[in-house]
Amino acid sequence: MQALLSFENAPPFAAPLRFFLTAPLFATLAGLLVAWEGPGLFTSRWMPGALAATHLITVGFMLQVMLGALIQILPVVAGVNLQRPLLVAQIVHAGLTAGALLLAIGFLVGAPWLLSSAALVLGVAVATFLACTARALHGIPSTSPTIRGLKLALVGLTSVVGLGVLMALALARGWALPLAALVDLHAGWGLGGWAGVLLAAMAYVVVPMFQLTPGYPTRPSWSFPVTMLGLLLLWSVAVLADQGWLVRLSQGLAAIVGIAFCGLTLRLQSKRRRARADATYRYWQLGLTASIVALLMLLVASIWPAASEIDGWTLGFGILIATGGFLPLITGMLYKIVAFLSWLHLQNFGQAKIPAPAMNKILPDIDTQRQMLVYSLALALLLAAVVFPDWLARPAGIAFAIANAWLWWNVASATRRYRQSQAEMAQKLAERLALAAMPK
Amino acid sequence: MTHAKTPHVVDARYMEPPGPFVETMEMLDKLQVGEKMLLLLFREPHPLYKVLRQNGHSYETELLPDGTFEILITR
Repeated sequence: MQALLSFENAPPFAAPLRFFLTAPLFATLAGLLVAWEGPGLFTSRWMPGALAATHLITVGFMLQVMLGALIQILPVVAGVNLQRPLLVAQIVHAGLTAGALLLAIGFLVGAPWLLSSAALVLGVAVATFLACTARALHGIPSTSPTIRGLKLALVGLTSVVGLGVLMALALARGWALPLAALVDLHAGWGLGGWAGVLLAAMAYVVVPMFQLTPGYPTRPSWSFPVTMLGLLLLWSVAVLADQGWLVRLSQGLAAIVGIAFCGLTLRLQSKRRRARADATYRYWQLGLTASIVALLMLLVASIWPAASEIDGWTLGFGILIATGGFLPLITGMLYKIVAFLSWLHLQNFGQAKIPAPAMNKILPDIDTQRQMLVYSLALALLLAAVVFPDWLARPAGIAFAIANAWLWWNVASATRRYRQSQAEMAQKLAERLALAAMPK
Repeated sequence: MTHAKTPHVVDARYMEPPGPFVETMEMLDKLQVGEKMLLLLFREPHPLYKVLRQNGHSYETELLPDGTFEILITR
């Protein structure tokens, strides 16, 4: 019976796995870049090194994992399959990998042609993904907050990449655009409209499923994605109309909506029925708490704009929301997805005759918990480096690189154990077949 | 556990996968043709929907305010 759990026409494991194995390498590169550049990188968020490191993390890590996971998880959360998922995964993965590298190098060396090339490559990769996903989702009714959230997150992805491509071309060709306002809007769409809405839509499914919490109440689940997108549209209109007060109002309201979602998730986690706190749970606690602090900073700055002039405020906010909030949330989910998908594919491979090894055997909790401790230390060092860059910038970069290299090692080890188990199961199946074929 | 809609209920809201799927299929095996069962979950089980359709079972889903999906399945 369990063999029936297989998702017909579901993407092969190789489709998402390439994203999951590449993403930690980009975060490692970001750490090495911080270590290489040292204190200078912490001078301002406009430093070439800071822009490069930011995009190694957001495009190289976050976007990689999110698109890879979506390719595999669409049949589970929305009941739809992408057509030719392996081909889509190959194109999107190649584009994201090349695009993130071109973008980071383009920022670092200040080469306009590299920024234009990055814009083109990333634009094509994301457009390919959007076209295939939109085609799969076409005509699918929004029967759950997850499906609606997923559709709205795609609007967020279109906006953040559209703005990114526009700014990369503007920088490369010297177009006169209000870049400071557009950069904030680009970050707002990326973190709020795309990553935030997508994580929430996935959280509605995976938090109760893997952490055994109560479900998300229906009304806030329906309203969170649409409210967040509405506020980002308001922010966009305010930028177009050059209305600073409206920009701050929409930022402040978006911060409140984000805090409400994080607070609700923490409350649900406090009622979980799983006694053991695994790495995913701990990563989510860290990510949600850091997000709340970061969003409180955003709220304060929207009410009292002078706050953002305080030394290190904006940089500290960026580090807290990206590496303190989103990265832990994504890494926590990545661990669970890799272990679950490995188990699921092995379970189906065993054809209900040979049982698959337990998820904890494929990705032992002790390995993920240790990696999380190192990551937490790296985060603390990064935040402290905002205040003491001369002392801590390089150690923070090295610690961040080590933590993410360890993440890569854990994912790669799970992949190795998956392949090893598959080979052992194939042998056992062949032995059974040979036994059954023997004359009685 | 019973419910106003049917006495045959699988409350899988705090169950890890593949528990909900396995228990639903096991209960369906015990039902007579035309009988109904109710599955309670905090998510929509799209892979299960697919199997139900393939096996010729019909289902109706209702989302309750607390986030529970009530899936009424007719064998």
